[in-house]
Amino acid sequence: MALQNGSLLSSDRKCVRSPRMKNHKLIVSQSLIRSYRASIQDELQKHAYNFVLCDPGLPDHPIVYASDGFLEMTGYSRDEVLGRNCRFLQGRDTDKRAIVEIREAIREERDCQIKILNYTKAGKPFWNLFHLAPVFSQQDGRVVHFVGVQLPISSKLAARKDGHLTGLELSFDELEFEEHFDNPSCKNYHLSEEDKQRAFAAVKAVLQELANSSCKGVSSMRSKSFSEGVIPPGFVATSLLLALTRIPHSFVLTDPHLPDMPIVHASLEFLELTGYTREEVIGRNCRFLQGPDTDLAPIEELRSSISEGQTCTVRILNYRKNKEPFWNSLHISPVRNSSGKVVSLFLTHSLKCSPFQVAYYAGIQVAVSHSSEEDEGRARMQQLGTLGAIKVAVRSIQTGAVLRKSKTIS
Amino acid sequence: MLAIKRVPTVVSVNQDCGSVSRDCLQSCFLTGFDLPLFKYTKKMKTTELQLLGDEEVPSSPPTIERSFLGTLLLSKWEERASQGLFRYDVTACESRVLSGNYGFIAQLNEGRHLKKRLTEFRVDQVLQEFDPKKFNFSKVNRNEVLFQFGEGEEAGYYDITPILSSPDIVLINVSPIEYGHVLLVPRLFDFVPQRLCANDLLLALYFTAEVDCPYFRVGYNSLGAFATINHLHFQAYYLAYPFPVECASITRINKGSLKSSLRISELVDYPVKGVVYESMDLNEIAISVASTCQELELRNIPFNLLICDCGTRVFLFPQCFARKQALHQVSQKVLDTQVNPAAWEIGGHIVLKRKEDYEHATEEFVTALLAEVSLSDPDFQDVKNIICK
Repeated sequence: MALQNGSLLSSDRKCVRSPRMKNHKLIVSQSLIRSYRASIQDELQKHAYNFVLCDPGLPDHPIVYASDGFLEMTGYSRDEVLGRNCRFLQGRDTDKRAIVEIREAIREERDCQIKILNYTKAGKPFWNLFHLAPVFSQQDGRVVHFVGVQLPISSKLAARKDGHLTGLELSFDELEFEEHFDNPSCKNYHLSEEDKQRAFAAVKAVLQELANSSCKGVSSMRSKSFSEGVIPPGFVATSLLLALTRIPHSFVLTDPHLPDMPIVHASLEFLELTGYTREEVIGRNCRFLQGPDTDLAPIEELRSSISEGQTCTVRILNYRKNKEPFWNSLHISPVRNSSGKVVSLFLTHSLKCSPFQVAYYAGIQVAVSHSSEEDEGRARMQQLGTLGAIKVAVRSIQTGAVLRKSKTIS
Repeated sequence: MLAIKRVPTVVSVNQDCGSVSRDCLQSCFLTGFDLPLFKYTKKMKTTELQLLGDEEVPSSPPTIERSFLGTLLLSKWEERASQGLFRYDVTACESRVLSGNYGFIAQLNEGRHLKKRLTEFRVDQVLQEFDPKKFNFSKVNRNEVLFQFGEGEEAGYYDITPILSSPDIVLINVSPIEYGHVLLVPRLFDFVPQRLCANDLLLALYFTAEVDCPYFRVGYNSLGAFATINHLHFQAYYLAYPFPVECASITRINKGSLKSSLRISELVDYPVKGVVYESMDLNEIAISVASTCQELELRNIPFNLLICDCGTRVFLFPQCFARKQALHQVSQKVLDTQVNPAAWEIGGHIVLKRKEDYEHATEEFVTALLAEVSLSDPDFQDVKNIICK
């Protein structure tokens, strides 16, 4: 892996798996099991395309499935790519604009088709026709995965006047690499309709396979009612999810507008702390963390703060899934969205009305020993820092957001 | 002499006090003051060494986690917020994206400009002498100081340390545009006026890189480009949304070379003319940008910088809005909104103080406003010539 000038910036972590994905193998397989039947890997294996599946609900939006074709094309092994963000395909001369285009499509939860300069493990550049498509859950409307299909474009073909790709099965060895990938014949190569159709066909085939194998129903399009503005309870937009999954601490977001204030998002660290899976906590009220020896006093303090829309910090005895108790320094706080409009009554069962613009109630957990002053300071910094990061994320919600006109680069 | 009158933003509660308060940073500095210290390192970290293929390097857990600086900054900021140190709650400010091609973000912030008193700002002199009689950051209230930022052999965090001899300080901005709005003041007690040199810019780039979050951006406004205080400082805040300028098309204007990975490009199809510097090597960016900015300072061309992508992308906008305003060449309609097009506004984040402006804001309005910022074609070509020589 060549370096430029021998300097490598701390933020150049494109080839590094997020340190939070310590159990990446387990996390990655759970991502597939959660939505599809166990046979999904075998089903996807049958397709000769180069493609990956990525999960926007995991830290750094990592790859959770990579086809054999993708691995062959890029020169990486399966273990090297699972759990990593796709940006390792980018390199020194990858057009920033193309990256932005992909990012926008992910944020806006829509398709995008783009020509982008990618690099193999050996550092060789190649032009890639990349097609991205979201996979929606029919249950709650969330984007479950993003499918990314890659078609390498040969510069030799790009230079041809008729500009036809001879097929997806073009062997990678046959592609010639250019010394200077600023080669105008590549850059200005206009994708033919046929190229685009081949990409569409690949995406469609993969999406169909996922839909056929899904447990709870996924599809390439949102449900009709969602498109008409009927948002299912507990829906979390990808743009919010991407911001939330950046936060490397244990926390949950609960929705005070839904009955019994259920959890709508739980961080990876929360799941690791408590031992539960995502399915086991989403939709439930946090009280499942309480147990036989949990004092009533902190529970009452929490209840009273929530009914007033206040923040509070309590030290409460909680229990993991395996019944093991732990002391939890829990900090809760209301979090506003960017609407600025007064929303409905805060909590229906409360006699007091608090007309806040509250989107969520955040709960941040720090495991502490029963009494330690050092713990206090550290816990407080983590809690407030996490709360700040949550506020930043939730402010990105745009109520009545208008999608920017999408631009694809030819 | 050309000057305009505008309402300066209040960044510190002590900004209007004539006298030096006992609680200010300067007094505390003299009597001894403990501050948290965040040490960053320019050395390559363990993870990068592994990246080089040096598998023998043991993967010891880092002493501080990646992006700890972000956690530190946000926690201190949130603490100050709960202590009521900000003039208003920025999370109660409504925002929306304007429909159209660019995706400008408009915010209704009635609290930011409550101060009515107009101050005169000279707009035809980018370099001005530091005036100790005027407000500077040694006069801020001690509670507005979050921590000091310093370089070391190893990265680390120290909760309580005596203030360093030439500290780089991070302060809150009491009139925040967004959550986490802070000021970075390099070598505060050197009392450097608002002007750029490579080392100070490099500090800002390292600061951005250490926070390690694409939502955290750092801005710089020269005098004449709506800097309020003539004491060297950068501003920064979090916005979990793309800035329109970050999504703009660009076309390369410098030649590529095997020795350098620095790309300099020109903005295409964006309401404001500007250039963007991109590299993974912060040193390279700092030297190149600072050299251009110093040339602009000598030629009295005001400019703004916007640092994005964890320090690897820096936008430079030479501008002439204030000059036009002084020459009465800006329409009254635009002036009435009291939008001062500084780094954030040019980037596409527009803060509006009047409800009617916010409710009727359109992309056309913002485009018209920003069009007044750009240099003329010949003037901008001169700037490009400076960059590419």
